[in-house]
Amino acid sequence: MILIDMQTDRFDPEKSEFLQPSESEIQTWMSKAFDMGIEALENGEVPVGCLMVYNNEIIGKGRNEVNETKNATRHAEMVALDQVLDWCRVREKDPKEVCEQTVLYVTVEPCIMCAAALRLLYIPLVVYGCKNERFGGCGSVLDISSDHLPHTGTTFKCIAGNRAEEAVEMLKTFYKQENPNAPKPKVRKDLVSPPGGAVVIQVNQGPQH
Amino acid sequence: MEPQAKRRKEMDKCDTWDVLPVLSDEKSRDTELLPAYAAPIIEKRETSRLVKELSLIYPLPGLQHIKRVRACKDKSSPHPLEVIVCLARDVAKGVMPADLLRSQSFDSSGLGEPFLVEIPANPPLTRPQFEKASKHWPTSFHEDKQVTSALRGQLFTADQKAKMQDYMTAAVQAAKSGREMGMDAVGAVIVDPESEQIVAVGHDCKRGAQPLHHAVMVCIDLVACGQGGGAYNYEKYPACQFSSSDFFRNGCNSKETGQPYICTGYDLYVTREPCVMCAMALVHSRINRVFYGAPSADGALGTKYKIHCQKDLNHRFEVFKAVMLNACEALHKK
Repeated sequence: MILIDMQTDRFDPEKSEFLQPSESEIQTWMSKAFDMGIEALENGEVPVGCLMVYNNEIIGKGRNEVNETKNATRHAEMVALDQVLDWCRVREKDPKEVCEQTVLYVTVEPCIMCAAALRLLYIPLVVYGCKNERFGGCGSVLDISSDHLPHTGTTFKCIAGNRAEEAVEMLKTFYKQENPNAPKPKVRKDLVSPPGGAVVIQVNQGPQH
Repeated sequence: MEPQAKRRKEMDKCDTWDVLPVLSDEKSRDTELLPAYAAPIIEKRETSRLVKELSLIYPLPGLQHIKRVRACKDKSSPHPLEVIVCLARDVAKGVMPADLLRSQSFDSSGLGEPFLVEIPANPPLTRPQFEKASKHWPTSFHEDKQVTSALRGQLFTADQKAKMQDYMTAAVQAAKSGREMGMDAVGAVIVDPESEQIVAVGHDCKRGAQPLHHAVMVCIDLVACGQGGGAYNYEKYPACQFSSSDFFRNGCNSKETGQPYICTGYDLYVTREPCVMCAMALVHSRINRVFYGAPSADGALGTKYKIHCQKDLNHRFEVFKAVMLNACEALHKK
């Protein structure tokens, strides 16, 4: 069952023609995104799966790379968008033309920063699983996906709620399994060691408390 | 380091600029008013009884900041005190003000005829709000002295402003270097205010294949590079630089934490107000404070949003604008 966001109504039907993915397409790509999430979970990483699909082809895939880059902006979506740009460069395609026909499938609602990045690159449609109550930029905290921002690319449409419970469960499992590790206050304050440090950032990225 | 006297002299030569705080909507909004009925207290010795009884019959929920009684400003007034009876919205339709007191089961002796006043709907959070509110009806006010002096442009000393000018000058320089390479003229500098050292300098690098490389995103990644991380290589951009965190580890003021962690404790100086993406990137990076020059049309630290004081987000920070405003605005003029 898919819950369609309010924003759907505001979407220009002409523009959406090519990317009204069918129910079965959505299921296929979302299940790939969930596989990525599960894989991340098994590797002790934030279980967010994210892929960018253009013409029935995955041209960008991402997982959270905050810890290895020590850069808190390296969310799965930002990593995937960089891959899309690389894909365009290698094929000498115009990024805007490609992005305008690319759909993002992601297990969790993109955060405010990622939502703005998606706008800036003209991604027209995002299909996501669960809400991100703490950082969500597609209606949860702010509605960057549809607010009037004439200098920030274009608005995008969202199809929300695809396998939302599963996405939440995945995140909960992640935080549960990290909790015993949650280091003594001192380490937490120090924010040094990669596994401990990871928790400090990632706990705050989860949509669930 | 330059002698202070020289710094001051240089500052005098420059355009004067203020550092203005970008406050939350609650702190910067106009005084909202609620119509209410007040009545003169004719018998002063009845005051405490009247206040007690009125508060029981007409409590003022959510208006704890309102002082129930005020002294009449006008010395020639026949009565020295006035008391709030109730909010106008609590009066049933068809009830005349004069009936307000009579219709209640309380002893209104000592009270005069009710009349309409306007009282501030919200507790004042800043001195300007307090001063405006007080013109209508007295309220309590818990002053945040820092906000008061920030609003007066007196939060920072001349020495602090001279340092700000050094940092913002570096950002303006970076913006110009970027512009020479065909980029948008936006520059950013991240500073460790404890050591007063510049940690990273960056400029817009959007042109070409990286449309998301706004100056702030570049600067955040440069900080990561200095900490042994980083997602990109900036060899092509000589003006984009970072200092290695070895410095901080060996530095005499090396903090208890040993190693710096993302942008915790750092200040950002940027020539133009950050967009939504960059502003949220600063939240994720735990920036300490942001100083910017010129506002931007879709700006997210004051113009369109105030992401730095957005409710629900897990990190907030102070933002100041108009630092070297003219020099920053000039970057965008041909």
